[in-house]
Amino acid sequence: MRSFKERVAALVVVLLVSVGLFYIGREHKVFLDNRTIEVEGQSFRALKFVRVTVAGKEPVELMPRDRDLSTVVGPSFKLKVEVMDEFGEDVEKTIEKELKPGFGKDMMLSMPLLAADRDDYILPAPTVQAPPPADDVKPTDELAIPPDVVAPTE
Amino acid sequence: MSENTAAFQTRRTFAQKITALFAAHAVPIIFIVISALAIPISGFSATYLIQELLIRIGRNSFLILSLLIPIMAGMGLNFGMVLGAMAGQIGLIFVCDWAIVGVPGIVLAMIIGTPIAVVLGLLCGAVLNRAKGQEMVTGYILGFFINGLYQLVVLYFMGWFIPIADTSLVLSRGYGIRNAISLMGIRTVLDRLLPLRLGPFDIGTFHLGYIDVPVATYLVIAAFCFFVIWFRKTKLGQDMRAIGQDRAVSDSAGIPVDKTRIIAIVISTVLACYGQIIYLQNMGTLNTYNSHDQAGMFSIAALLIGGASVTRASIGNVFLGVILFHLMFIVAPMAGKNLMGQAQIGEFFRVFVSYGIIAVALVLHAWKRHNAIMNARRSLRGAPGKKEAA
Repeated sequence: MRSFKERVAALVVVLLVSVGLFYIGREHKVFLDNRTIEVEGQSFRALKFVRVTVAGKEPVELMPRDRDLSTVVGPSFKLKVEVMDEFGEDVEKTIEKELKPGFGKDMMLSMPLLAADRDDYILPAPTVQAPPPADDVKPTDELAIPPDVVAPTE
Repeated sequence: MSENTAAFQTRRTFAQKITALFAAHAVPIIFIVISALAIPISGFSATYLIQELLIRIGRNSFLILSLLIPIMAGMGLNFGMVLGAMAGQIGLIFVCDWAIVGVPGIVLAMIIGTPIAVVLGLLCGAVLNRAKGQEMVTGYILGFFINGLYQLVVLYFMGWFIPIADTSLVLSRGYGIRNAISLMGIRTVLDRLLPLRLGPFDIGTFHLGYIDVPVATYLVIAAFCFFVIWFRKTKLGQDMRAIGQDRAVSDSAGIPVDKTRIIAIVISTVLACYGQIIYLQNMGTLNTYNSHDQAGMFSIAALLIGGASVTRASIGNVFLGVILFHLMFIVAPMAGKNLMGQAQIGEFFRVFVSYGIIAVALVLHAWKRHNAIMNARRSLRGAPGKKEAA
């Protein structure tokens, strides 16, 4: 009985460690989107020039209609958005946030919505939005049997 | 007259000693000689060779060390270690799908792979217990059998029955894992965890450039070596050694032979699972349907080249083997190119020698076994000198 309890306890510990590793080791793709967006019938125009720093990495500069990608690891990260004037010289507005993707995977951040101080600036990542590519009729993988190969009849 | 006889006997003894030394270490001696000839022909610098060897020792040693425990238990070379390699690869596929990167990704892949390796090890052990005396060939064929199951799971179940969220891992038809998976998230993370750069060194006219040492990987390997040393001294380790020496006597002594043999194979399979993960994190690419194929053959070849036999292997054999085997890997193609004008010639030579060495080692094992049996028979009959004296 003691042995059974010890085994269950060991299993629980391993499961908890696994969940912990999943939590701290998960990589998140963060799409930075600077496109005009319509929300609740209201249009939020793309920013003229914006500089985004994700998790203290090299800043990313976005022009209107730009979309860029950054990757972060871990349950939370810091985001710094600097809205610049159209010449990219003066900072008009600085927004700093701590985002917690947690167990979630990818996300897209809308710069116009962030600049407008809205809370719904986190959008589904484009990979989730877009339907998966259509299943090819002709598999191109090495392991697949090419469709033009005809099985011998004799 | 008696002085001449004594001198003759001394000479004979010396010759016998040389022959015995060569017979005992024939394989490493052959490889050292070939490598010594091939290194200058290849034209590689010492810095390049040392750096490549350090990387390859870190990459392969863990896999080879996983072979030691079944040898201790008298089960020969565990060709069934590919089962563990497959378990490790399944762990890596899930980790890639969930986008777990860095050291957590490696550890999580090991945690996922462990239960799969344990189940496969139990199966392998149970089968090998029914094929006592033919463990190696049975393990080899079992590897093919489980490879079929692995392909069924990875090629048909994953993406259909087993959910795979990352569409970039899945074949365009919607199920099955692609041939090659990039392990960029975990590539060399263990090697880069504790980086150490040595050099440059100038010893007289000899110059050695910068050499990067993957310290963390070596620490893991060192921990494994200490585990093997400690394990030999435990009750279980002693039981395995006893079984390795004589199954019947061990059984009479009350050692649970079958159970101990299964444990040996389970430990080996689990460690092979970890070894494959360490190997693949260094490579940075997982060839879903091929990576595990050669794991067993390469590891066994390296161990035999290090001077191990089917019944006896040590940690020293592992490191000598991995150095000699991979030295051939590095220098043979270039030596072939410089000698014959074609790198492929060197590669053919390496393949010929590497796999030929397995055959030589197995033949030597059979020869020694035959000699041991003949000597045992002779000792039972009694030596001719003793008969005369009687």
